[in-house]
Amino acid sequence: MFIHIFTYRLKCLLRDYEGIFWTMLFPLILATLFNMGFSNLNSAEMFNPINIAVVNNESYRQNQSFKQTLEKVFTGDDRLFNLSVVSREEADEMLKDNHIDGYIIAEQPIKLVVSRSGIKQNIIKSFIDNYMHTFSAISNILEKDPGKLQSLINDIESKVKYSKEVSVTNAEPDNVLIYFYTLIAMACFYGGFLGMGEVSDVQANIKPVAARINTAPVHKLKTFFYSSAASIIIHLTEMLILLAYLVFALKIDFGTKTSYVLLTTFIGSIAGFSFGAFISAIVKKYEGFKVAVIVSVTMLCCFLAGMMYQDMKYIVATKVPILSYLNPVNLLTDAFYALYYYDTLTRFFTNIVILTGFIIVFCSGTYLIIRRQKYASL
Amino acid sequence: MQVFKLCIKVINKNKYLLLVYVVIFLVISFTLSLTAVREMETSTSFKPAKTEIALINEENTPLINGFRAELAKVATFVDIPDETEALQDALYFRQVSCIIRIPQGFTEKFMNGENVQLGKISIPNSIRNVYIDLCIDKYFNTARLYVQNMNGITQQELVQYLKKDLYDTTSVEMIAKGEKTSVTNLNYFFNLFAYPMLSIIILGMSTLMLIFNDKDLKMRNSCSPISSTNISMQFVLGNLTFTFVSWLIMVLSCLLLNFKSIFDFNTVFLVISSFVFAFCCSGISFLIGNLVKSKDAITAVNNVVTLGMCFISGVFVPQEAIGSSVLKIASFMPTYWYVKANNTIAKLTRFTLDTVKPVLYDFLIIIAFGLAFFSVSLAIRKKYRSYT
Repeated sequence: MFIHIFTYRLKCLLRDYEGIFWTMLFPLILATLFNMGFSNLNSAEMFNPINIAVVNNESYRQNQSFKQTLEKVFTGDDRLFNLSVVSREEADEMLKDNHIDGYIIAEQPIKLVVSRSGIKQNIIKSFIDNYMHTFSAISNILEKDPGKLQSLINDIESKVKYSKEVSVTNAEPDNVLIYFYTLIAMACFYGGFLGMGEVSDVQANIKPVAARINTAPVHKLKTFFYSSAASIIIHLTEMLILLAYLVFALKIDFGTKTSYVLLTTFIGSIAGFSFGAFISAIVKKYEGFKVAVIVSVTMLCCFLAGMMYQDMKYIVATKVPILSYLNPVNLLTDAFYALYYYDTLTRFFTNIVILTGFIIVFCSGTYLIIRRQKYASL
Repeated sequence: MQVFKLCIKVINKNKYLLLVYVVIFLVISFTLSLTAVREMETSTSFKPAKTEIALINEENTPLINGFRAELAKVATFVDIPDETEALQDALYFRQVSCIIRIPQGFTEKFMNGENVQLGKISIPNSIRNVYIDLCIDKYFNTARLYVQNMNGITQQELVQYLKKDLYDTTSVEMIAKGEKTSVTNLNYFFNLFAYPMLSIIILGMSTLMLIFNDKDLKMRNSCSPISSTNISMQFVLGNLTFTFVSWLIMVLSCLLLNFKSIFDFNTVFLVISSFVFAFCCSGISFLIGNLVKSKDAITAVNNVVTLGMCFISGVFVPQEAIGSSVLKIASFMPTYWYVKANNTIAKLTRFTLDTVKPVLYDFLIIIAFGLAFFSVSLAIRKKYRSYT
């Protein structure tokens, strides 16, 4: 009996193109779009040498020490600036056309001309400030002890770096990843459509097919479990395809703990399926309404987990922490995030345990509602 | 005008479904505009850029307090509990751009002229990181000059000197370029507008087409004494009316939220731009309505088409942040030209034929897209009809 129901259910589901579209193709398309749209999202915060100009006037040509200082920062791979030496008019023109972020007039005192106050302009200013401050310090010291000139020159030459990167994890804080993690979570919860279908198909008041199944001389719970097995197998396969696509085609970084990533996907898939079944069982309306409930609950959960606006996840976690534990989509996202970003597994297991709790609630809820449902007339 | 009247009737019946989109769009745009304005602020005087950092201070000495005061000029301190996960989270979600830890015994070693360093966790190679680094090195390198060249200098003296040295800053001249915050904000609004506009028009139109494309109904209509061209034209008219009304509702609500800049020339152009785009959306919806045969398929096609076009042409993410190869593909879509036109309009400060020309070219391209969609759909209609 199992093989019979299972194979026919499998066939039914595979021929339901709309179902396949929403549970598999849609997440795949969305992943591709995310990848195309977000691939350079972090480039804005990355540092590239700033384009500046210095006005080529008499005082600049004579100011050897400033020239030397500038030279140090516009050569080499880790340079601060790309420098062009031009006339004042040219500099003005370049600034207006956004070819440079600011230009320096090396008079006494040195002046900076910019067109807006952004971080790049502030870096240029900070650099000139530094030059001026060093000068001021030197004159203070020489005032007290004029004999220090030589040692001062040596000291200025040897700039020391006063900060050291002490990373706590090997993973880079690449915050675009969270979008892909929420996407998998969403795809898992779209498995809810399959769960919903399984429950609807044994509720004789919802579908004619269910009415027929109810009249068959097979235990209803058995039919439900057998065909659910087909749904779960299909959804798991879809999730594995999505995961493979993300990892191998889009090269999304999931960290090094592959077996745990698979475990999370597996639990996520079950959670999504049972979620759909549960909703289908408690919402006693026609199917379109059930779909609407599943979509809106999933989307709300996704929004709170940071799918549309990633800071949302942080805001919820810091302002209303309880909500981040009550949101299964967030738990799933957070599990992937913890696997990628943390060296310890405490947070990952917390997420997984709560998620398993959700699965138990959904499954027992569904069981208690649909068991022993009888229809007076079919 | 029976066909036209029926179009309006059907749309009227589905208006609540379509209004849901408008409301969602307004809520999202409103929340986004609240967060976006903060970052785009420009003004006529030069302001120091500030970045959020977390400073974990294990020492309380005059030198470090002076450093903290200096750092406060370029940074806002964010309080985050000193726990690994909390710090990591804050960095990941960019609540802070770096975390600086001043280790115990730093001051003592520094005053003895030993080589010491602050611990820092940051986003590698980020521009804010460079900015903070400059500030740290500036303070301690200047301090080092005193420590190495003034024997027996006390911390108090050192801090006094530093305070005086670091007080003077470079004078900065701002050349006004006339970028207006309100316009950048509105630009963002109108870019985002492409998504709900497309969705609403496609959904509305396809609902309409499904009803008309019902086989029995179609056959009955074919034997009516109205010519098929006439029917098609009435249909197009119905389509355009619906587009116009949805456009009007959305633009009005958009302007209500940004009422401060209604009378700008830029705003006028942005409104025209959205109108041109709405025409193109109408064409797209007409084509989809003619191709798709079932209600469920429409939701799928609608999602793929709108999300696809919007994602890669810079509706959600700024065009500058999208890779050039992706933008090349996007240039085959009207949304790309719409966003491009909007971005150009927002940057305009003078309105002469010369400066407006690129925008007009973009408009022409969008209109051409729209016309192409309409003609293809009409051709398809004709072909299908000859089959039946």
